[in-house]
Amino acid sequence: MKQLPRLAQGVALCCVLLPLQGLADGSVIDKIYHPYVNQLEWELEWRAVQQRDDPVTGEARYQTHKLGLGRAVAEYVFAEIYLIGEASADRSLQVRAWEAEVLWQMSEQGEYLLDYGLLFELEKARDDDIWEYATTLLLERELGRFSATANLGLVYEWGDDIADELETTAALQARYRHSPLLEPALELYLGEDTRALGPVLLGMTRIGERQSLRWEAGVIWGLDHSTADYSFRALLEYEF
Amino acid sequence: MNRPARLSLMLLLALAWLPAMAKTPIFELDIRDHLFHPEEIRIPANTKVKLVVYNRDPTPEEFESYELNREKVIMGGRKANIFIGPLAPGVYPFFGEFNPRTAQGRVVVE
Repeated sequence: MKQLPRLAQGVALCCVLLPLQGLADGSVIDKIYHPYVNQLEWELEWRAVQQRDDPVTGEARYQTHKLGLGRAVAEYVFAEIYLIGEASADRSLQVRAWEAEVLWQMSEQGEYLLDYGLLFELEKARDDDIWEYATTLLLERELGRFSATANLGLVYEWGDDIADELETTAALQARYRHSPLLEPALELYLGEDTRALGPVLLGMTRIGERQSLRWEAGVIWGLDHSTADYSFRALLEYEF
Repeated sequence: MNRPARLSLMLLLALAWLPAMAKTPIFELDIRDHLFHPEEIRIPANTKVKLVVYNRDPTPEEFESYELNREKVIMGGRKANIFIGPLAPGVYPFFGEFNPRTAQGRVVVE
């Protein structure tokens, strides 16, 4: 793909804005995105993060859940929609927001020193006038059996029920491709209220022709007082 | 993100602009009747190569290899570029996910 100028635009945007803005508030522990799209693929996905407690509200076992359905809509473009729910020790699971996202693969895997893509996300709270839009630069580099991935995000929040704010996020993953079933990884998350690091196990198994099940599970430890002491994160993804 | 970290990141990203300094060797592979032709491709060790895969069938096929860390759908009658390596000497199998019983091959790195 002869699209280096697009990388130039994305990098320039991030380099200009990263030093100027604060980091994103709330927990930014989530999944790490890779800058690849597999044509013709559909995805049904559930992912969840449970914090020991929410450091802001003090709620014990605060959880967020995402249920998503996505498909590759073009050779290099994947689109997905989500319902987002939250729960805690004192509250049952309720839908809090919806989200739409588009992932754009911008280089062929292995063509350049870094593989790169962009992720665009739009989220709207169900009961409040709170909107959130994020653009995230996705970078990946293969080093033998290791893969290093970076997600560098710019987030804008606005609405009558939230102070307008531009923030940044960063998530890094180092993964060892041991086998399809088991890939150990280390993840680091940085945001305004998040400094967290922890081990994650990833894996994939085929369950039929053009059907596979991917899973991720990990424990992410908070590195400062504004981050939960520990968070569990899990993902289950059916690809077909 | 502190200043040294940002500078390191900018340097790392700037490197992504650099094209491959040496010309990337090109190898060609056909998919016909749900088979890879040739089944075996020999490439040099420690060298990045470009694999041009032509799908001569009317139906899509997926070039897949965990060992090569590649997964790419090629629509019927189309071609795809797949960059692999640099790799250590060895045998790296691949298969077609739409026809895994017949479409099988290997990259031999020597």
